[in-house]
Amino acid sequence: MPDQSHPGRARVSMDIGGTFTDVVHFHETTGVVTATKASTTPSDLSDGVLAGLGEVVSSPADISFLVHGTTQGLNAFLERRGVKVLLIASAGVEDSYHIARGTRRRLYDLHYRKPTPLVPRRDVVGVGGRITAGGTVLAPLDEAAVRAAAKRVRDEGHGAVAVALLFSYANPDHELRAREVLREELGPDVSISLSHEAAKEWREYERTSSAVVEAYTGPVVRRYLQRLERRLDDDGLAVPLHVMQSSGGIVTAASAQERPLQTLLSGPVGGAIACAELSARSGRPNLIGVDMGGTSFDVSLVVDGEPDVTAEAELEGLPMLMSIVNIHTVGAGGGSVAWSEAGGLRVGPRSAGARPGPVCYGRGGTEPTVTDANLVLGRIDPDGFAGGQMTLDAAAAERAVAALGEQFGLGAEAMAEGVCDVANATMAQAIRTITVARGIDPRTSSLVAFGGAGPMHAVFLADELGIPEVLVPRLPGAFSAWGMLHTRIRRDYTEPHYRLDVDVDGEQVRAVLAGLEMQGLADLAAEGVPEGARSVTHAVDVRYAAQEFTLTVPLTGTDEPLEEGFTTHLAQRFTAAHRVRYGHANPGAPIELVTLRTTATGDLGTPPRLPHPRATSAEFASSSRRVVFAGAPHDALLVHRDDLLAGHTFSGPAVVLEGTATTVVPPAHTVTVDEDGTLVIRQQEASA
Amino acid sequence: MSTSSTVDPVTVEIIRNALNAAADDMNATLIRSAYTPIIYEGGDCVVALLDAEHQVLGQSAGLPIFLGNLETCTRATEERFGRAVWHPGDVWILNDSYLGGTHLNDITIFGPVFVEAGTDAEQLVGFTASRAHWIDVGSKDPGGSMDSTSIFQEGLRLGPQRLVVGGVEQEGLVDIIATNVRFPYPTLGDMRAMVACITMGEKRLQEVVERFGLDVLLAARDEIFRQTEALERAVIAAIPDGVYSAEGVLDNDGVTLDAPVPIRLDVTVRGETIDFDVTRSADQQTGPVNCGVAQAVSALRVGYKLLVSPDLPGNGGSFRTMTAQVREGSVLGAVAPAACQWYFSHLGLLIDLVAKALAPAVPDRVAGASFGDSMIVLTAGNDPRTGRDYVTLEATVGGWGAWEGSDGETALINNVNGSLKDLPVEVLETRYPMRISEYRVRPDSGGAGRFRGGDGVVREYEMLTDCTVSLWFERSQQPAWGLFGGQDAVGPDVVVNPGRPDERRVLKVNGMRLSAGDVLRCSTGGGGGYGPAAERDPARVRENVLDGHLTPAGARDQFGLDTTA
Repeated sequence: MPDQSHPGRARVSMDIGGTFTDVVHFHETTGVVTATKASTTPSDLSDGVLAGLGEVVSSPADISFLVHGTTQGLNAFLERRGVKVLLIASAGVEDSYHIARGTRRRLYDLHYRKPTPLVPRRDVVGVGGRITAGGTVLAPLDEAAVRAAAKRVRDEGHGAVAVALLFSYANPDHELRAREVLREELGPDVSISLSHEAAKEWREYERTSSAVVEAYTGPVVRRYLQRLERRLDDDGLAVPLHVMQSSGGIVTAASAQERPLQTLLSGPVGGAIACAELSARSGRPNLIGVDMGGTSFDVSLVVDGEPDVTAEAELEGLPMLMSIVNIHTVGAGGGSVAWSEAGGLRVGPRSAGARPGPVCYGRGGTEPTVTDANLVLGRIDPDGFAGGQMTLDAAAAERAVAALGEQFGLGAEAMAEGVCDVANATMAQAIRTITVARGIDPRTSSLVAFGGAGPMHAVFLADELGIPEVLVPRLPGAFSAWGMLHTRIRRDYTEPHYRLDVDVDGEQVRAVLAGLEMQGLADLAAEGVPEGARSVTHAVDVRYAAQEFTLTVPLTGTDEPLEEGFTTHLAQRFTAAHRVRYGHANPGAPIELVTLRTTATGDLGTPPRLPHPRATSAEFASSSRRVVFAGAPHDALLVHRDDLLAGHTFSGPAVVLEGTATTVVPPAHTVTVDEDGTLVIRQQEASA
Repeated sequence: MSTSSTVDPVTVEIIRNALNAAADDMNATLIRSAYTPIIYEGGDCVVALLDAEHQVLGQSAGLPIFLGNLETCTRATEERFGRAVWHPGDVWILNDSYLGGTHLNDITIFGPVFVEAGTDAEQLVGFTASRAHWIDVGSKDPGGSMDSTSIFQEGLRLGPQRLVVGGVEQEGLVDIIATNVRFPYPTLGDMRAMVACITMGEKRLQEVVERFGLDVLLAARDEIFRQTEALERAVIAAIPDGVYSAEGVLDNDGVTLDAPVPIRLDVTVRGETIDFDVTRSADQQTGPVNCGVAQAVSALRVGYKLLVSPDLPGNGGSFRTMTAQVREGSVLGAVAPAACQWYFSHLGLLIDLVAKALAPAVPDRVAGASFGDSMIVLTAGNDPRTGRDYVTLEATVGGWGAWEGSDGETALINNVNGSLKDLPVEVLETRYPMRISEYRVRPDSGGAGRFRGGDGVVREYEMLTDCTVSLWFERSQQPAWGLFGGQDAVGPDVVVNPGRPDERRVLKVNGMRLSAGDVLRCSTGGGGGYGPAAERDPARVRENVLDGHLTPAGARDQFGLDTTA
């Protein structure tokens, strides 16, 4: 029986991955944080969620706060198991979804095909009615055509309708009326997505695509959330279930069902949010987050304490307009295959994936991978891999690496180290290109390593990039889930407001922002955020006239547009941001406003920061293991993470083992354990 | 004992990746800081790192048509002024069509890379270069003319000039540029983005030299080139020896509208080598469809790469198996003062001809021809909503050819325009006084075949104010051809005021006046089919009708199938 006398004791977050679901549990009374893993259950994710919860609480009634990142919608998208969608578009330009802006992404490909759309062309219906750029009605909506489309939905069994009409961001009346007509015809069971609600921005292809993705995945996400909420409710959960959004904020499951698009890419953003929390705790404004798993390598940035958020995302080539934390997927992580081409060594971009996976997994893989190379070098513990859930075949890895080495006249260890060196250099260069595109010098950041394999490579990456310091947080394997415990309710609102600076009417801007703010505060109230914990910020997307890319410039409040010299001040801030981002600027050049943005955030409280136990002695338990660095075997210090307390310090070569991750510290690096238990790894002062 | 000329495979691979990443960093710098959409959205640019002998060390994917001719610019500069002309901190600019090969809008900015500058050990280790399209360089018409007959009508022409000397931008030259172009503010923005780009490359190359040493870099370079060359040789060796020919025509040169311009290609494959001979092509033309030799070679390299090495990053080992014969004074080897504004129309054709010629040799790698050209709509006028002048230039998408195993793609930008995106209707109507009344797939326009060519589109403009329109629509005389029994596609069609008494057809025109209320209906061609139409699965024909790619009449006429039953 759940203990009803002590309700609300645990804050729990869950990050559902492809194989495992990470569960992080924070005990509000003791302050203890624990992480566990449960198997992901693809056929019904709610089974895995409940099993995972069962590992950490005796009853959902003990939970005071629950958040999870779900892959339900994403899986439906990737496996093309969404619902059948009918798309209603403006007659005359209804092909914009299939023309898809006509762009080619692979320039040397005579056999290029566009990303496969989610709706076949036969399921696109053009309906009459036209709104102008200024939002006035040029031709009325052809309601008979909408009714005829509804008949097709009934007859042909579409599960959802997406409505994407020209200029609906400027005047949504036709889309709203179309929904009324569809509801009259179809009742409540068919899901309807309107483009101006899915993404209130201009560019009809991208907005249409956003609405179609929402229509296609939304019903799947809704069914899942409804089922999960019901099961949690039955088990006594007394607080709302929260869902991670791509923006890095959370919403209640109830509002996620209204705007399911925002939760589509919720999984990987937890790591970026965790980095932002680490940034605040450690007083380091700029971080590069490296999340490396068995088959993935994701990079995210924290700039000036904030996760790097962008307004547009793409999934398998299909665009979506929404706030999303920038996650750069570069390469294949430990699964990257090492091979020979024309007598040259190559590492990646091919990946052995999870199946067959690296040779050492013993699942039929025959080509050596980066993971195999790490194993040969002694950098992975063959018996403790993935929290001991898998035993690795070190001999098979060595044979495969040795066979490759023969082609280059290298022994197994030299070959293995070469493979790791190439992989590290390539990953480091990918990180550098990401920072260059963002206008950041990596040497001014710290590198945060997480995921199972991140801490194994992080120090090498940092050395390549000239980054002075690597941070390995506690529970690196569950860092993303931990991050979800430190998020806030977030709702984003946009209103296109395309004006040259000379045409800006401050009162108009103020009125739009005030409207968005009212809506935001009302939505926060509906999310259950107490009045004192609600806050709203405003910003505007600005660019130089004729430029395409915009930068989002924060505003001081709804009244700023009324101030004397508003556009001048805005231009100055924009110019400064432009210089930081692009390295140059044009002070005095005309600017354009493009989109007004409002973000409403609600603070539901986050776990207090409790210090890691402090060492009372410099001593800690350790043993040693043979690990190869720079072509020579070393007796590396072998430490268990649990034995490390705040204040402990030691030098490389060393390997730190814990349940789901391994940290590799090469020679000439020093590790200190800070007050949060984070490993801080720095290069020792070079003698030169 | 090993010497400095050998280097271990791990170091070679790390250097190879570092050089390619350096080019990526240059590209990221240019694209993110450029001012005009043609660069940041169209990707109408390319960057390269070169060694001190002008060989490519690393190159971004970039615009294919610029493939491998940045080195021509550094080499030509050195030939003119001597090796001693290079100094640390200098940046050069060049757009001469007969040196760079393209039109004057394509600006190449490049500079030497030194290590140990200012010391006794100062050494030239290479060059970095970038090329990008500037929206206007002061031609007689805004953005470029459809009917120029001499390079002197096409704008500011610069031989190799120092833009930056010892780190100091040359005010005089910048002033000349600013005075001669119509949109100086974004143009100078793009110019400085290009300088930032090559400076980034310079830093990266210096870092590589400092980290590994020049000897190791050069040894690694030789090995990297050797690997690339070996891979390409193996592909060429597998192509049956023989002479393969193909020819095609442009509709005209834009000035003499009734005279087609033939392009003829003879490909000789012998062992591990391949030779492209275009000397039988037309003499250089009065109108602006000429290009310099460098650009003809680039186009042939694109055709080569599409069939031989699509996934290999380009470097100095690329194209060593390939030679090209271009005749000076021909449309592909133009000499002064030939007009070069539309230098790429016949190059797009030439790229398609490489595939056509080699189709018998590598049938699985080729495809039917594409719709082929940029299909430009250039509109200029004054917007009554703001009182401001405007110019907008759009390329129009069309159909690509089918290949063994798949239909061609519908509504795709042409080869020469890289990854350019169309202009959204909502952006166009917001910015310019016009309305798009139709933007649709053009049914029945792809060539019939076992695999169907992709379809073109119809894009119909309703002008809301008086304006002038210039058009460049090509390939009506020889629409995209099919292969192996596949049918040819339908070609382009442009109609002014369709269905009205003043209806008229036009494909190329410079500065045509239209009035408010006039309608311009532009249809682009499809791509060529592959294999006999009779072999197409009838179920797929029915699917095409359901999806609107074929009308019932088209299904009957092209495939003999009655889908209405």
